[in-house]
Parts: sequence; structure tokens; C-alpha cells
Amino acid sequence: MISIGKSSGMVEKTGPSRIIFDILNYGFMILFAVACIAPIWHVAMASISDPRMLMANSGILWKPLGKITMKGYRMVLHNKSILTGYGNTLLYVVWNVVVGTISTMVAGFLCSRKDFKLATPLTLFIMFTMMFGGGLIPTYMVYRQIGLINNRLVMMVPGLLNAFYLIMMKSAFEQLDSGYEESAKIDGAGPLTILFRILTPLVKANLAVIIMFTVINVWNSWYPASIYLPRARNLWPLQLFMREILIQNDTTKVLTGTDAAKAADLTSNLVKYCVTIVGTLPILCAYPFAQKYFVTGATLGGVKG
Amino acid sequence: MKKEKALQNYQKKRTWLYDLKMNRWLYLLSVPIIIYFIIFNYVPMGGILMAFEDFKPAKGLFGSTWVGFKNFKDFFCGASFFNILRNTLVINLLNLAIAFPMSIIYALLLNELHLKFFKKAVQTIHYLPYFVSMVVICGLIVDFCSTNGPVTKLMVMLFHIKQENLLQNPAYFWGINLVSDIWQGLGYGAIFFVAAIAGVSQELHEAAAIDGAGRLQRAVHVTIPGIMPAIVTMLVLRCGMILQVGGDKILLLYNPSIYSTADVISTNVQRLGIEQMNYGYSTAVGLFNSVVGTVLLVISNTLSRKLTDTSIV
Repeated sequence: MISIGKSSGMVEKTGPSRIIFDILNYGFMILFAVACIAPIWHVAMASISDPRMLMANSGILWKPLGKITMKGYRMVLHNKSILTGYGNTLLYVVWNVVVGTISTMVAGFLCSRKDFKLATPLTLFIMFTMMFGGGLIPTYMVYRQIGLINNRLVMMVPGLLNAFYLIMMKSAFEQLDSGYEESAKIDGAGPLTILFRILTPLVKANLAVIIMFTVINVWNSWYPASIYLPRARNLWPLQLFMREILIQNDTTKVLTGTDAAKAADLTSNLVKYCVTIVGTLPILCAYPFAQKYFVTGATLGGVKG
Repeated sequence: MKKEKALQNYQKKRTWLYDLKMNRWLYLLSVPIIIYFIIFNYVPMGGILMAFEDFKPAKGLFGSTWVGFKNFKDFFCGASFFNILRNTLVINLLNLAIAFPMSIIYALLLNELHLKFFKKAVQTIHYLPYFVSMVVICGLIVDFCSTNGPVTKLMVMLFHIKQENLLQNPAYFWGINLVSDIWQGLGYGAIFFVAAIAGVSQELHEAAAIDGAGRLQRAVHVTIPGIMPAIVTMLVLRCGMILQVGGDKILLLYNPSIYSTADVISTNVQRLGIEQMNYGYSTAVGLFNSVVGTVLLVISNTLSRKLTDTSIV
């Protein structure tokens, strides 16, 4: 049998081996997709299940067990630790997106200037830090020396300028036609006016990639906070509280005061699942919009810094 | 061309002083950026000296006692050295030998899907686990591998192992780590190869098809050679990182009962340095790690240039 391939106009054979291969291939793709979704679906279903029945269950849930209950969510959304974590995470995300992106843009702009004698030395100065670093302990000691340990600023200042993003912005600016800029200059625009009024709209796509990865990385980050904020629970991002509940399996520290009485109740069993959903939902919602930037981001290098 | 040349000449002729006057705003903007990189990147580089000291924070970098290579000797002769090095290598080599080829095969299989919307839909779903936070992923692993978890139940049913918390048994850690890595990274890890496959010349495919090459033959003789540079690039990068295990995942998953198979260099640095305040020793281990990493990167890059004419630098 001979049929014409749709995409390239090629002549394709469709023998029985081809059909078997297609079935297996499509089957594998569907199976893996199910495997990707199932754990998250399981958590979502568990979070609204009857806690008593949940205790006895040990399989993957496809639908909620027993009567649907929102008790777990009510408990989580009234919990002070979780709310603190949510607030902190939001602050860190917004700050890093706004201030971080603007600083990265300004720095990339400076490095891209052809009529600026410092541009090349500055670029080399920054690129050197991509290859060599002090490592964990020396960095920790420097932060300690300047009083950043257990200080909110440690989540807001050291991550502002990312050398990879900066170099990406630099090459984006360099690829622009210099005509725009020259005409603005003739009209008497200063460098910052040129950057924000003329050039920024032209590098929107690159900005979107940087913003998307900043949001995802800051939202998901837990490691720096665990090292630099060991004794400042009120500054913790949500992920650290989630670590306490999910990994260390310790709901007692988070559920304090009036919740403590309830914690004896089986409802605390639900908290684990509800927290997971509450902490992951924003990423899942942003995900479909972020999709088209994945390829650029992946070729840019490591995403999880 | 002419304009560029003129600009170059202009730049050369310009003295620093004149440039400073003309671009004073640009210089002013550069100052905070330079300070930022000095404080957060260059000063810590100086801290590497701690590796050769018995560092005490109270005495400072220049007041602490010099001990030469004692910290390195302690590390190489330490009881846990062999263990940590083996775990780091095994975890990375397993990943390189199994997860890496799988993402190439996955990209090739994806390329064989002809229903456009289906391809897009499954790809979207397959990326998903990569964007879920490590804390949640590890929370799921902890939950699923607990004594009554679904994964444990499945393993008991399939292989008749003892029903226990899988994360408490050192024998299972490498497997759990590898499988969860594949689950989380297969879709996203293949993006690079998917992009490379899209770039393979369509004419070559057509020519091969006219010569009677089937799908499999074309995949082997056209697609794979076409994406070889991409494969080599990734392989070189991975070889350079062979001593760098993503410490954050292991930090979340391990516990003292499985240190024998789960403790790697980065977790060791973190535990001894930050928690036990063994600063000099930890810095030495970190330094060893990055020096070996750089050497490996250079070697693998040179090898790939010699063998395949592809290199990343």
C-alpha cells in the first residue's frame, strides 16, 4: 500500500510493521502522559477526600474517597504559617521580577553599547563569574559578614543579577537595528529614555523568557532560604513550610495554637495534600501561558539555578 | 561595514577621560553593577583561601591558622571519602547511561507522531513534572515510597520484596533517584533534541526516502547523524558535571540510615560546612569538586573536538 505523506509530500509505505510501531508509539506517549499527571491528580483527589477513609487507602486515587470535604483547605487557608509563607513567596517573586528584570536589562544594555569604552571590560568582568565561583561556604561567610543571614534581604538582593540572563539581554540588544536608537538620539533622548522607551518594546520576547523563568525559579526555590534563613521562620518562603509538612512529616510546628486541638483530629492528614495543591496551583495556572517560551529557555541553559 | 569600521576607529581614538565625560550616565549606572558582582561573586572567590586554613569566623580570613593541605588530606584519607565519591559517580553515571539516551530516543519517537495536535498535547503534559517544585516532587516520592505507599505496594507485588519504607533501605536509593529523575526530566530534557531534529534538512530525508529508506533507516542514517552535534554538546556538558549531583533533591530525600548510598559531595559539603561548622574542610571539598569538574570539562571537550569535530568552546 502506498500513501502520500501529508507534511512533506513524500511517498510513504504503510506496512503492518509501521502500524504496529505507530500503535506502540502512541500508546507509550499516552501512558507516559498518564504517569506525569497521575501523582498530581492523586494529590488533588486526596485533598478533598474523607480523612478517615484516606488513612486506610494505599492506592492511587482517581476520584475522591467518600464525601467531598473542604475541611483541609479551610484549615490551610486559615493557618498563620502558610499565609506567612505565601506572603513572603509573593513578595520575593514580585520583587525579583520587577527589580531583577529591570537591573538585568540595564546591565545588559550597558554591556551592549558600542560607543561605551567600559562595555567590553564590563562584559568580561561579568562572564568570568559564570565560570568561577567561591562555592557554598565562602559565599555563606561573606553573607554572614555583611549581616545577610536571617535577614529578609538575603532573598531579595543576591539573586537580582543573573549573569546568564544578562548576557542574553546583551545579545538581544546587539541584534537590534541601530537606526531606532540614532533617530531617538538626534531627538535628544538620554540613554535611559532610549532603553525604556525605544529598545524595551523591541526585546519583549527575551524579557518574557526571563520573567517566566524568574517566576518559576523563585516560586519553587527552597534551598537558599533553608541555608540563609535557618532561624527566621517569619521570613520563610512557602516552600520551606511545605518541606516541613511534606518531607519532615511534621505538622505540629505549623499547626499551632487553636489548630493543635484539631491536629489530633484526622483532618491533619489532609493538610499535606491541601498544602501541595495550594503551593503548586499558581505554577499550574501560569504553565499554559509560559509554554511557548520553553524552547528558548531550554537552549538558554539550566533552568533551575 | 563602513559604519562599523568608522565606529571602531572612533572608539580607539577616544581617550578614557573623554569617554567618561561623554558617557557619564553610563558610567554612573555601571558602578552599582560592578559593586554587586564584586561583593557577591569576587569576594567569595577570595574565600577559597579558607580551604588551606583552620578557619575560625571569629579570627577572620587572615587571622586563622594556616594548615596547608591538611583539609584536603583529611578529605582524601577520611572514612567517608570512598563512599561519597562512589555515590556521586554512580548516581551521575546511571543518569548518563540510562536517562540521557532515553531522552534522545524519546525525541526520536516524538518526531514519529504525525497527529500535530496530539504531539503538542502530550509534549505539554510531559513537560509538566519539570516545573513542579522539588519540595513537592520529593514529598510525592516520600509519600509513594512509604511503607503503605502505592509504589511500595507495587514493588512488593512484582518483586516480592519486604514491605518497608523504601527510603530507609540503602539498596533502593539509586533506583528511586534514577526513576524519579527520568519521570521528572524526560519531557523537558528532550526539548534540546526535539529542536535539533526539527533542524535536520528535509531534503536529505526526501532523498533517502526516494532511495527506498524506511522510517527506521532514515532515523538511523539521516536524523541521528543530523543531531550528532547536539548530542555531543550535551554529552560534553554532562561529563563536565559528573561530580555535581543536584544536591537539593538528595538533601530532601536522604536520611542517616541511607547515607551509605545517598551521601554525595554536595550534600557532604552542606552538612559538614553549614550544620557542623567545619568551614575549612568543607571549602576544601568544594574546591576539589570544582577543580575536578573544570578539568573534566576541558578533557571531554578536547576529546569531542578530536573525535567528532564538535566542541562547545
